[in-house]
Amino acid sequence: MRHRDDVLAGEGLLPVLPALQALLPGGGLHRGSVVTSEDWGLLSLALLAGAVADGAWCAVVGVPMIGMRAAAEAGVDSDRVLLVAEPGPRWPQVVASLLDGFDIVLLRPPDQPSASLRRKLEAAARRYGSVLVVAGDWPGAQSRLLVTDVEWTGIGAGYGRLRARRAHVSASGRGAGERPRSAWLWLPGPDGAITLAADRAVAAGHPAGLEAGRLASSG
Amino acid sequence: MTRRGPGAAPPRVLVLRCPDLLGEPGPEYQQDQEGSAAARAFEPVVAIVERFCPHVEVLRPGICAIPARGPARYFGGEAKLAAGLDAAIRQGGFSCQVGVADGLFAAGLAARTGPEVVPPGQTPEFLSRFGVGVLGMPELCELLPRLGIETLGQLAELPPAEAASRFGPPGKLACRLARGLDPRPLIPRPPAADLSAAMEFDPPAEQSEPVVFTAKTLAGQMHDRLAAAGLTCVRVRVDVRCADGTEISRLWRHDGLLSALAVAERVRWQLDGRDSPGGITLLRLVPDQLARATGRQLALWGDAVVSDRVARAAIRVQAMLGHERVVRPVQAGGRRPAEQVQLVPFGDAGTPQRPANRPWPGQIPAPAPATVYPAPRPASVTDSSGAAVSVSGRAGLSAAPALLAVDGGPVSPVTAWAGPWPVTQRWWDPQQACRQARFQLVTGDGTAWLAVLQDGRWLIEARYD
Repeated sequence: MRHRDDVLAGEGLLPVLPALQALLPGGGLHRGSVVTSEDWGLLSLALLAGAVADGAWCAVVGVPMIGMRAAAEAGVDSDRVLLVAEPGPRWPQVVASLLDGFDIVLLRPPDQPSASLRRKLEAAARRYGSVLVVAGDWPGAQSRLLVTDVEWTGIGAGYGRLRARRAHVSASGRGAGERPRSAWLWLPGPDGAITLAADRAVAAGHPAGLEAGRLASSG
Repeated sequence: MTRRGPGAAPPRVLVLRCPDLLGEPGPEYQQDQEGSAAARAFEPVVAIVERFCPHVEVLRPGICAIPARGPARYFGGEAKLAAGLDAAIRQGGFSCQVGVADGLFAAGLAARTGPEVVPPGQTPEFLSRFGVGVLGMPELCELLPRLGIETLGQLAELPPAEAASRFGPPGKLACRLARGLDPRPLIPRPPAADLSAAMEFDPPAEQSEPVVFTAKTLAGQMHDRLAAAGLTCVRVRVDVRCADGTEISRLWRHDGLLSALAVAERVRWQLDGRDSPGGITLLRLVPDQLARATGRQLALWGDAVVSDRVARAAIRVQAMLGHERVVRPVQAGGRRPAEQVQLVPFGDAGTPQRPANRPWPGQIPAPAPATVYPAPRPASVTDSSGAAVSVSGRAGLSAAPALLAVDGGPVSPVTAWAGPWPVTQRWWDPQQACRQARFQLVTGDGTAWLAVLQDGRWLIEARYD
């Protein structure tokens, strides 16, 4: 039970948002590990939020289209974020340099990295005790999060507006005894925050009044 | 430099400011010294000034100073020197203001307000009419008027010792400035120990990255030596020697306020502005004009204090990619998602042009989209019959949107939509005015989009994912 030891060690784990704790082994991001979300999106930002709120520094590489307001609403303080939108052809060196210094590096690889390159960056993360969060495919990642089902509320055919999104997020991991886990999240909730949602409730397509009531009760 | 006692009038100084290349307006003296891209823009001006006097001191981007006595003698008087310099700078395509007076502070004010030349000995009189606000010391400037001291003239009449005991080190400094003296008495002779730090490069460094990286280490050594001697330096001289023997020397304002990283940044600016034929063989940092350290501490690098390790990683990546490509996001105000952030190069001070803490009516309510395209992507939005959806001048919709194709991609059905929300922006400015109708669209795969219709074209500004 490697994870348990790390948790006991204390500093081996970066905190995550309460909503994501159940999805990650040990309830946080293990220093020296690689975590992926399927593609760039709010889930990638959500993975950073807990650690940044705890004072971690974070670098975001290869994401020119990052929505900083969404990041702020999710809890990522922009004062602790550094952006390298266009890392160029030498992006692996850029990422390796940032791993030595930043607690978390969020990477959207500009091209598919080879297995040897991946191993080098994994080794860099381990050496410096930082976490590599990848928005994209990364075989060999310790944890993989995936949005499998989404449902917007608050918007209909010509009325309302986007208010919140219920998303089913499933997690899988590497290593023995790792059971797949999943949860329904508000990704994002009505104020942009990311919280746990109740299990699948009513089906889509209800009137606006009911919608509002559901949002209020989701708290 | 001639030796002077603490009460002697400071030497004649010429200050040149380029208002176009300055950051925010404000008192020059002691303004925050964070770097900016302006430093690079200022480099050609410095090169012109160097033709008049080799000892150019860059106070901060947009403002530089030279000792006036020698060049004035050569060019036939201070007025002629000022006029010649002014003409040369204007010929180079920059606007500028020049001022000559006793000491840097007065010369800076003279450049800002005129007259161009304050005759020798008349500096205290020239200063006396200014309000204490020009000192640029917010706390003191608030306190002094309440005590009935509103002008520098009144401040200069206070007995120096009394002012020092009442207002502490800042008061002492303010009094010296008001009386037309140098802010801190300079230590007349450099101490015996060499406080400079140098590094030779063998083989010569072809690129600026390793030099800038070394500069930070050297600056740390220099600061340590200064601190050990209880000193601080007013300026730091950066000497760079190239393989072909040319030396590029530049003075940078320091005032004990620069971190090692900030010194390294100035070395980068100095290198960026020039070619270094054959590579760089030597980098030397020399503290110039030593003064006693009074123990002032300042937070550098914006709001959060960056840990050394983080700063080192960031500057290393800047060395690889260039200064502007490693940025901090700063929240800014605006209605469009792409306007709501301003990117500031790491190490520069950033104040958003559009403050975020103002009401921006018409901005998109929370939740915000996680993907904001730097340039909006073209799209086609059609109704069920395949005709493009349009909006009339009175925000009437031609038909319900049924199909969306982004950037020539696959067509997906629109399952839910809301809008149009008309936005009329900056109608008072023909350059920036725009009229848009905004929509939120949800497609079959559950992705939500922020779309705008502008001049009959559909654009996708952001994606909720």
